Amino acid sequence: MTQRDTFIDELFKIAKEDKDVILISVDMGASALDQWRDELPEQFIWTGISEQHSINLAAGLSAKGKKVYVYMMAAWSARCFEQIRYSCSMPGNPVTILSNGVALGYAPAGPAHETNEDIAYMRSLLNVEIHCPRNIPKTKELVRLSYEEPKLRYIRLERKYDVRFNDEDNGSLIGGIEMVKPGLFNNPARTGEPKVAIVSYGYMLGRCDDVWKKMMENNIEGCLFDMYQLKPNPITESMFDSFTHIISVEEQTLSGGFGSIILEGLSDVGVKKDVLRIGLPERYIFENGDRDYHLDSNGLSVDSIYDKVVEFING
Amino acid sequence: MDNKKLEKIAKSVRKSVFEFKTRDGIGHLHSSLSPVDVLVSLFYDEETIFDHKEDIVIFGKAHGSPSIYPILADLDYFPKDELEKYCRPGGILRLHSDWTIPGCHFVGGSLGNGIGYATGLAQAERDKNIYLIMGDAELYEGSVWESLMYISHHNLTNLRIIVDRNGLGTIGETEKMLKLEPLADKMKSFVGDVVEIDGHNYDSLRGVFSSQNPQVVIAKTTKGKGVSYMEGKWKYHTIVPSSKEDIKLGLEELS
Repeated sequence: MTQRDTFIDELFKIAKEDKDVILISVDMGASALDQWRDELPEQFIWTGISEQHSINLAAGLSAKGKKVYVYMMAAWSARCFEQIRYSCSMPGNPVTILSNGVALGYAPAGPAHETNEDIAYMRSLLNVEIHCPRNIPKTKELVRLSYEEPKLRYIRLERKYDVRFNDEDNGSLIGGIEMVKPGLFNNPARTGEPKVAIVSYGYMLGRCDDVWKKMMENNIEGCLFDMYQLKPNPITESMFDSFTHIISVEEQTLSGGFGSIILEGLSDVGVKKDVLRIGLPERYIFENGDRDYHLDSNGLSVDSIYDKVVEFING
Repeated sequence: MDNKKLEKIAKSVRKSVFEFKTRDGIGHLHSSLSPVDVLVSLFYDEETIFDHKEDIVIFGKAHGSPSIYPILADLDYFPKDELEKYCRPGGILRLHSDWTIPGCHFVGGSLGNGIGYATGLAQAERDKNIYLIMGDAELYEGSVWESLMYISHHNLTNLRIIVDRNGLGTIGETEKMLKLEPLADKMKSFVGDVVEIDGHNYDSLRGVFSSQNPQVVIAKTTKGKGVSYMEGKWKYHTIVPSSKEDIKLGLEELS
């Protein structure tokens, strides 16, 4: 099941018990929506392609105590940025935005449907939380969190993406960042060797996992971190104590995006480390191809990321 | 309440707005004078169905919302001396009203959004009346028409829309900029129940805010109403009278 359908499905169970839960679809489809339409028509609002109105509507409903979720296409978050800022962020209305088709997720549809900058602009909003779950357990936990602790949230949902790094991947959201692949050898003889922290999120974790494996094969010490909460910034002072190099990998252009969050987080806690940001080039992609094709051909293939890691630590 | 008394209240509201706006010269006096009679009719005429303790007023055209401050002060939402601290450090009243001000319910200042927000309020509590005051030049925002379609489809008759049809945008007449007319017909094609009235006539206002109670009231008003040299002059949208002579004349006309 997709993260999207999981979220909508889990929310449905809650909504059956709580009539204040409202789901707004900006004319976005999902198989999990059928039960909402059939069984909870009073709690399912189908607004049509009207992002600006939909966010204002959600904010007004939220101001009256409704627990409102707006399901929309990620790319159109820019279209209603003003309304999110003005009607949700400023007055503190706790609307949950379910953002679907993030980054190059709709790649065959061209750059208008892609969101290579949404992390940068959404995180500029005040009073917003941003989440990028990597798997179904984390998605389910976000349903619980958003219901029990309402807040303005921007949740970037992947389609068929469910990365599990171990059997105990239970969906905890505590901390906002976690090491998912350990790879420090703790060998006193290697004290002077580079120790690399690769930090990524969402869809890029799969590629970064392959990069990590390649590092292990080539005797490069390093760990992989999943930073699934982008705002508030989860980086702590001691988080990267054991590392000499930090590398951010993102499916976004670099201006103000994920790598910038890492840099800001380190700066805010007074940590000075060598940091490399890897992401999409500063251009819109007007070529045909699916998501993986575009990632491969825009510097984000496993080999390309690995080569950048090696060049960086040898630099 | 008879019309003479309402007119007297309206004059005192306009005078108060004129005073606190000209004190520091902080903007949009012009836009704040046109909707005063609409507000006075709602808040003071017992024959209207409006109940300020239960109903909510949302200013879509929040740059005109300071017109409500003297009324809210009079009704003890906040101390009257707040009017003297308008836009000054330590005061609570701002150029655009927002929800931190007692009696106000929305973050004002971005046109085209009040209607969607008011729609949410109206849908959340269908037994409560929401009065939305919009500017006519605000109607150029596309989000307005997104919301109108929605309001019509969901039959949200507890949301009452009042268009302050003063005919002016920032730098000229709406009909020279982009024609809004026939506005009533356009509105009717979205929500059927639309009336046009003289927004300064208390008989007309009483009519629509009591028995008729239509969904959309297009209130034809005069921007800068009450100050002869400002009335209908678009250049005053951004200009607050500052010369001693202009301020004296304005106060005389509003006294």
